[in-house]
Amino acid sequence: MTQNEGTRLGQGRLSLADPIFRLLLGAAVILAGLLLATLIVSLIGYSMPLWTVENPLHFITSDVWSGLSQAPDGSTVGGFGAAGMIFGTVVTSIIAILFAAPVGIFAAVYLVEFAPKRLATLLTFLVELIAAIPSVVIGLWAVGDLSLRLRDSVEWWVASSIGKIIPWLSEDPAAPAASSVFRAGLVLGMMILPMVVAVSREVIRSVPQSLREGYVGMGATRWETIRHVILPTAKVGIAGAVLLALGRAIGETIAVTMVIGNASRIPGSLFQSGQTIASKIAGSIAETGTPEELGSLAALGLALFLITLGLSLAVRFITRRSVVGANS
Amino acid sequence: MKVSGLLLERLSPQEQRRLRTDRLMALFLRTCAGIAVLPVVALTVYVALRGIPALSPTFFLNSPADTEPGILNAILGSLQLTAVAILFTGPIGIAAGVYLSEYASRRVSSAGTMMIDVLLGTPSIIAGLVVFLVAVPFLGFSAWAGVLALSVLMLPVVMRTTQEVIRLVPIGVREASLALGVPVWKTTLYITCRTALSGLLTGLVLAISRGLGETAPLLLTARGTSAMNLFDFGTTINAMPMAVYEYSNTSSALLKEQAWGTALVLLVIALTLNVLVRSRTINSRVA
Repeated sequence: MTQNEGTRLGQGRLSLADPIFRLLLGAAVILAGLLLATLIVSLIGYSMPLWTVENPLHFITSDVWSGLSQAPDGSTVGGFGAAGMIFGTVVTSIIAILFAAPVGIFAAVYLVEFAPKRLATLLTFLVELIAAIPSVVIGLWAVGDLSLRLRDSVEWWVASSIGKIIPWLSEDPAAPAASSVFRAGLVLGMMILPMVVAVSREVIRSVPQSLREGYVGMGATRWETIRHVILPTAKVGIAGAVLLALGRAIGETIAVTMVIGNASRIPGSLFQSGQTIASKIAGSIAETGTPEELGSLAALGLALFLITLGLSLAVRFITRRSVVGANS
Repeated sequence: MKVSGLLLERLSPQEQRRLRTDRLMALFLRTCAGIAVLPVVALTVYVALRGIPALSPTFFLNSPADTEPGILNAILGSLQLTAVAILFTGPIGIAAGVYLSEYASRRVSSAGTMMIDVLLGTPSIIAGLVVFLVAVPFLGFSAWAGVLALSVLMLPVVMRTTQEVIRLVPIGVREASLALGVPVWKTTLYITCRTALSGLLTGLVLAISRGLGETAPLLLTARGTSAMNLFDFGTTINAMPMAVYEYSNTSSALLKEQAWGTALVLLVIALTLNVLVRSRTINSRVA
């Protein structure tokens, strides 16, 4: 060996400490990967026993969730029909998006294009604060205050006008439901609003200033610039924001459980109690014992997981193809 | 874009219409921003009004079993669960985040980023359900099960923040260190991570904030209890969000009031951590 002492020591460290350090960090990544794999595999595995007693088509089309029991003649009756929860999840999410998307997008436009810098900072801070508040606190407020206000205002107003003609907007005026799908949807809308605003704001901000200037320079008003330049340019990124928020709405559990009323049948009207997949899982842990019952919850969980997985992949796919969206 | 009355009259009817539309839409956008802010203001005011009457020394210092019941068991439960969960997820999450942004090949890095996206998008109830299905049969409803569920939710938060702040460290800082002959691992640990330290701490605070606020996954795992549990992780334990949920379902007026009080405590913690994170991120622009 012709190398001197110092270099040899240096190489010694390079050849041992570095790979070990690298290995340790890599192990952490693998651990996280295993975690995700465990989620998927266990949901699939534990849902298997359900499919021996329930056919998948019946699972998603029937809204009778009665569990299995022995009939007097010894045969097994009952079943697990998740249509009520699927309906509740879809409808509350639609209501949430119908509220959060327009309000959030236009609020984001205001924050970027109109609001003075100080005011924009304050408003952004306030809007994004909702995302930091634990959902049980939002749920408590919704049950104790908001829900009652909605029942006595919007809900009553709609039910006593259009509701007289359209049955799924009707309500028994003498006994308004203590909880309703509509209220749960609106609460969800408020919870996902900060996400729509935050992402839309980033996207709108990243629309090149020169595009705005070009259009204004030709004599366009501010609104015309927004409508014909900013929104079309930011369109894809905004769609990503809405999908991202949709994923959040679909999985939200505790606030919905507190407001929706937890009735597993498909309700006749939006102003009656319902159930979502997430609230069903949270609510029925206590009453599970048999592999089929556990399997039914795992199947619900799997459905929920696949929907949110699909949405996050869709967001990745959509935003990757747009220049503006890629920055967000 | 202010147009004086005199000028307005000189405009053609079509231009006047465009200006009116512009003003109307400006008002509409402002209204939307107002509606967006309304819920958080209404919520904060209402929870504060309902929660303040519940606050008293006994509320913080007594357990539900005492003659003047309080929520001490839930406060300590939340602290224990979150503290142990961050002890697991902090080092692992930072290590994984550092690997993905410093060492991984483009391919692995992009796969890792996608994995974090999926984990972040996973509903919290799923984390609770999986721990309930896989681990509860062995561990029982226990604090350990609760810690596991919280860890699943906190890990991707730490990983994502780490990944992003490590990326902000200028490449020159690393190069300078390597050029001086410092081994790669020491450069990563003492130079890169050191530079991004305040950002890494932000990630931990964000994860803690998430852990303190989760309810549904804990209901399925740690279950909640009215007894005090100190460091006995093999049995059920309470947490503040679970207390809010349980108490809001009771008919007892006292417990209902305590639900609002506990909600106020959670709200104050969430707001404090949020403000802390914001001030930190402003200070920690490493680049």
